[in-house]
Amino acid sequence: MLEVTGLQKIYRDREREVEAVRDLTFQLTEGELACLVGPSGCGKTTLLKCIAGLMEPTSGTVELAGRSVTGPPPDMAVVFQEYGRSLFPWLTVQGNIELPLKEKKLPKKRRGELVAESLEAVGLSGSARAYPWQLSGGMQQRVAIARAIAYEPRVLLMDEPFAAVDAQTRADLEDLIRDLWNRFDMTVLFVTHDIDEAVYLGQRVLVLSSSPTVVQDDVSINLPSVRDQLTTRSDARFTELRTRIYSEIQNAKHTSAAAK
Amino acid sequence: MNMMTADSVRPARTPTDQRRLAGARRPVRARVPGAGALLGAGGAAASLLIWEIVPRSGVVSPKYLPPASEVLAAFVERLALQSFWTAVGDTLITWALGLAIAFAAAVVLGFLVGSVPLLRTFTSSTVEFLRPIPSVALIPLAVLIYGTGMQATLLLVVYAAFWQIYIQVLYGVVDVDPVAEQTARSYGLGRWSRARHVTWPSALPYLITGVRLGAAVALILTITGQLTIGSPGLGQSIDVARSSGAVASVYALILATGILGVTVNVGVRAVERRVLRWHTSVRGENTA
Repeated sequence: MLEVTGLQKIYRDREREVEAVRDLTFQLTEGELACLVGPSGCGKTTLLKCIAGLMEPTSGTVELAGRSVTGPPPDMAVVFQEYGRSLFPWLTVQGNIELPLKEKKLPKKRRGELVAESLEAVGLSGSARAYPWQLSGGMQQRVAIARAIAYEPRVLLMDEPFAAVDAQTRADLEDLIRDLWNRFDMTVLFVTHDIDEAVYLGQRVLVLSSSPTVVQDDVSINLPSVRDQLTTRSDARFTELRTRIYSEIQNAKHTSAAAK
Repeated sequence: MNMMTADSVRPARTPTDQRRLAGARRPVRARVPGAGALLGAGGAAASLLIWEIVPRSGVVSPKYLPPASEVLAAFVERLALQSFWTAVGDTLITWALGLAIAFAAAVVLGFLVGSVPLLRTFTSSTVEFLRPIPSVALIPLAVLIYGTGMQATLLLVVYAAFWQIYIQVLYGVVDVDPVAEQTARSYGLGRWSRARHVTWPSALPYLITGVRLGAAVALILTITGQLTIGSPGLGQSIDVARSSGAVASVYALILATGILGVTVNVGVRAVERRVLRWHTSVRGENTA
């Protein structure tokens, strides 16, 4: 479904070169929910932008359903961390969700259905006419997620979407993502720096090394598919997995420090 | 001149030179809302009283400064005259037409030049040279081209208002949030759609600031042109009143231009509140 092959990104300016991503290769199969986790500054956002077609890699390729990604693909939606800047303050909640659908030239009736359905899915049915800035942070991110869902993407990319919300809201939103992934037919790539979050959400966790980045490990999360904030997080396997990934990341930091 | 600078330069996000100006002249706010209005009314009454006393007591000759009561009487008298309203109409038409032309030209050119970095760099030196030229320096040129008709004054108005708006648009077009831009691109919005749905609303706060500044400058140049060139309007009426020695009428007409200025400012402010109700400068930061 999604194939990233030998991806490399070097930022260049006049004085120096920074190799943010060295050599990344991985595949996601259709309908998978995978989490990407790595130490801060490891180039997660760079990788995501390359996959989203917002940035051109220095070398390597990204393929979505067999087609090479050169610009933003029509069947992919991105949820950014900065919901406050990603939602347009001059449009209402409904206007924000509808804008990409208008661009897709969907008829008015269909747009209305998608807006209603997506808002219902994120639990914000009553807020269509509100402006995003009238809502709380958690609600704003729900609107951004609703906008992505309404776009009917085959692949949903999420760039640390819950990094800026409080812990309780975060737990709710994590469950929302699991719920939406079960309900809608899509592949989800969820980028985070939070190991617990990655293990709780994913079927699979890709562990990235420090910059310059490679895939350090690919961990399959063999937890039951119905997850719950209390029981899943107290499961012995959960603890075991998070310990493993934690030490992987610590390891990654040290090796890269030693290499320097 | 104060009318344009004192409270009109308070946009949410503007180039630093204007922010400095705003900081220097920011009006002091009263703590209790009602008390502010009351104090203001009291201040106006006191000024009128002083204006009444000074000429009557002979500190200043009434020949040069007639008492307030006389000026107000002359003003009321004017209100009944057809010629006064024709002059007001001419002034408003010159102002509005000049502002509209400047607006259209500044928006089109500003968007074009602002969105092409190469063009922006290429034109910046020329702009920086032309912009500080005081419009009044163009009076001889305007007269040479258009004589003493409305067009001559219009030229000054357009020139002065254009730069105010153009510079703002130029800044506004590049101040698009990169996250908003990337969001739009990731949802497949093309160049034209992004210009319409992202760049235009992002630049709007700047544009409105430009219009507010431009509207005030346009009025100043309208009156100046009419006064010095003799195009029809309030400025010309002032000059006619002066040459016929009707001092109280001169003051009454000046009063009329002042009222016009306040009206223009209040009007633009109302437009701003409506168009930018989503923007932090209007809605405030204290939201959920």
